[in-house]
Amino acid sequence: MEHVLIKTQQLTKRYGPVSVVKGLNLEVKSGEIFGFLGPNGAGKTTTIKMLTGLLDPSEGEAFICGYDISKQPTQAKALMAYVPDQPKLYGKLSAREFLHLVAALYRVPKDIIAERTEQLLGMFELGDRVDELLESYSHGMRQKVVLAAALIHQPKVILLDEPTVGLDPASARLLKDVLQEMARQGAAIFVSTHILEIAERMCHRVGILKDGLLIAQGSPEELRQKVGHSGESLEDIFLELTGGHENAELIHSLEEG
Amino acid sequence: MKILLPPPLTDPPPEQSFVQDFTLLFKAQMRVTWNKMRHRSLGTLIGMAVLLISLLAILVSLGFLAYGSLQTMSPQSAQGFLSLLFMAGLASQIFFGITAAFAALYMSDDLELLFMTPVPLKVVFAVKSLAVIGSNLFTAILFTFLPGVFYGLLFHAGASFYILVFLVGLGLWLIGTAIAELINLLVMRIVPPHRSKEAVGFIGAFAGILIALVFQLPNLLISKNNKFNLADWLAGQEQIFNVMNFFPWGWGSLALVKGISGNFLTGLGWSLLLLIMGVFLFLIAFTLLELGFRRGFISLSQGEGGKRRKRRTTLVKVDTASHPQNTINSIFHGEVTGTASPWLGMWAVAKKDLLSMKRDTREWFGYLTPLIIMLFFVGQFLFSQVESSRVSLITVLMMYTVMFSGNMALQSFGREGESDWLLNSVPLAGWPVVWGKLLAAILPTLLLMETMLVGTAMIIGVSTTLTITLALGAVLLSLGSSAIGLFYSINNCRFNPDSPQQRISPGASMLMYLINLFFILILALGMVYLFRPNELISVLQQLPPITFEGGLRSGIIYGFYLLSRPLLWPATWRILTGIIVAVGVWSLMFFGFMAATVRQSRKGFRVELVTGRKKKFRKKSTN
Repeated sequence: MEHVLIKTQQLTKRYGPVSVVKGLNLEVKSGEIFGFLGPNGAGKTTTIKMLTGLLDPSEGEAFICGYDISKQPTQAKALMAYVPDQPKLYGKLSAREFLHLVAALYRVPKDIIAERTEQLLGMFELGDRVDELLESYSHGMRQKVVLAAALIHQPKVILLDEPTVGLDPASARLLKDVLQEMARQGAAIFVSTHILEIAERMCHRVGILKDGLLIAQGSPEELRQKVGHSGESLEDIFLELTGGHENAELIHSLEEG
Repeated sequence: MKILLPPPLTDPPPEQSFVQDFTLLFKAQMRVTWNKMRHRSLGTLIGMAVLLISLLAILVSLGFLAYGSLQTMSPQSAQGFLSLLFMAGLASQIFFGITAAFAALYMSDDLELLFMTPVPLKVVFAVKSLAVIGSNLFTAILFTFLPGVFYGLLFHAGASFYILVFLVGLGLWLIGTAIAELINLLVMRIVPPHRSKEAVGFIGAFAGILIALVFQLPNLLISKNNKFNLADWLAGQEQIFNVMNFFPWGWGSLALVKGISGNFLTGLGWSLLLLIMGVFLFLIAFTLLELGFRRGFISLSQGEGGKRRKRRTTLVKVDTASHPQNTINSIFHGEVTGTASPWLGMWAVAKKDLLSMKRDTREWFGYLTPLIIMLFFVGQFLFSQVESSRVSLITVLMMYTVMFSGNMALQSFGREGESDWLLNSVPLAGWPVVWGKLLAAILPTLLLMETMLVGTAMIIGVSTTLTITLALGAVLLSLGSSAIGLFYSINNCRFNPDSPQQRISPGASMLMYLINLFFILILALGMVYLFRPNELISVLQQLPPITFEGGLRSGIIYGFYLLSRPLLWPATWRILTGIIVAVGVWSLMFFGFMAATVRQSRKGFRVELVTGRKKKFRKKSTN
């Protein structure tokens, strides 16, 4: 049975008179990988921050596993993980100490923290540098630590903001496999990315955000059919939808459709 | 590779109590602090120990000073004195607390991570507030706890009195920190996240200047009145102290005075009122802080998400002809344009630096420092109008122009930071870069120093001719000194992302100052040949002829003797020698150091990256 694990209703964020996200309605189900696409400044990170509870919406609601993120943040956060695009970690902690801390914060039972930490560090090939301070890690290695930290508490929902930036091809592939395995086990994955090949190959459905408005959503195949060019890649569809004023009519027709 | 992942959770884990979460976060904070200490170099640890000993020494000496002051006072005057101390302490706590709160609550790297965890925000802010409170400990000890303890010792108070000292100290400590956090809420609202690092430097520098000013006031008062009696002064301020009793610092002093007079219960009442006020303010600050972050009133200083957007007032007209493909075609298939003059490149370098100085508020403090220092000298001149202070004011101004110019030029190449690759990779290396840097370093410096020099000269009534001569001299001195500064900058520049204003190695800075002193000395010799001081001539005329008898000492004396000879030559030869020495030394220093800097620029320069305990060189890039 498919459960809706991420749901937004008329989610809106305004900074003064400027609306950054406008009445966003979307649903991501259990076992689904949802790609969140959009040009720079479209409102993707703001949406993710509202979904994670880092930012209160001006209007509307966001639910994680049925919990309202504004009203029941502790329950929602306990079931969710977030991987930011710029991983800011405690530079003065080692990778092992950091994972132990995150596990404790997410209330992972003490007896399994050590075992799971070692498993994840091994999986992301951080084993030989686990006791070095994080300040000496490269961006890619920090990203791996954040990914390991995101998985340590068995989240049911995982939100990732540009997760492949800084990762080498092998790690990017590993990440893709991990996310697919999580989806197979019933988790909902929400990925914001600019790399459209990843979205096309990995995501079951994608949503395209432009100027705070969700202008299209569906599987890559559905989007192709909507645009009316069946042979085109997701990149072409994306550029066509987020292009200049000449595409306004097309966007309008999609919104109506 | 087979991926083994445990299945996702079905239900959230049971919640933990406030104390459990707080302990967990506190332990993590302690672990971070411990690791920080553990990974510091031995040199840093020794430096910290020296600093701690110095602070303790200051603390002890200030304690003795306060004790001595209290001894000369009646209990009522002591109440006023305590009120003043508590007020000063509260003000210091607020200033230092704002910086600490800003760093802990806005610039902290871990906020996003902690906000994402299922730990209530209250716990996060409780741990962060503890750090802010901790940062105010020294100020609280210095201005609240110690005076209270000394007061008790002086009047032989019983043990119960120290309970009042503790409560009063705690109350004032909490109030200071809470007000700092409340003001910080506004600061966090005003300062956009991407300028937070700049702001913390600005706040720190502002607090430092204000405190320096406050500490200079007694000096000025004593200079004016020759004899300043604190007890007499306090006795004359009775009305002000009565008004102070309406404020928390007055309550604190009342509590202690009542306690010492044997009226413990009244003292306890006042001290509890203070403590309740502290707790109340702290709770307000706490609640508003949590609400501010949750409602987005304050943004996290991470990523671009927090950057406030401005409403777009103008719409860019979309030209269908300007399709990206058309632009690409026009760039890659257009005709090759001619090469522009290197002067444009020079100006571009200068403009870049000038804009950076204008837009980074921390840079302004570099220019505010001489203004503040000069303010003291002008103040001293106005307070004690004697001839010697007038001469010393002009001398200090000229000396400062040289040192300040050198120091500003020292910052030039370090300002490139991690972007040093750009100036190394563009076809501008050599004189366009170096002259551009010189221009940017010297323009604001000259503008400021010339204004100060001419303004001060006019205020203190220096003749027009001398003022013009001084102004011209300052330009030349500034140019020479900046050339020296640039040379040391290009060879010893560094960049610390955590402290971007540290742009030069300390050794190079010292060496630059020494060379500048040498530069001034030789220039002064030329000036002495030009404008012969009569006092010196009368001494020289009485000197017997000196000969070189071998050895260093004799060599030095003989050298000075030879240098003094032109002073006794006929005017024409003396003035000609003066011009040759002054112009020669200036040209040698200015063009020599500029040529050396240009040469280094052509070879390529590197900015040494310094991060905490580590420093590293990036690959040197050359043209």
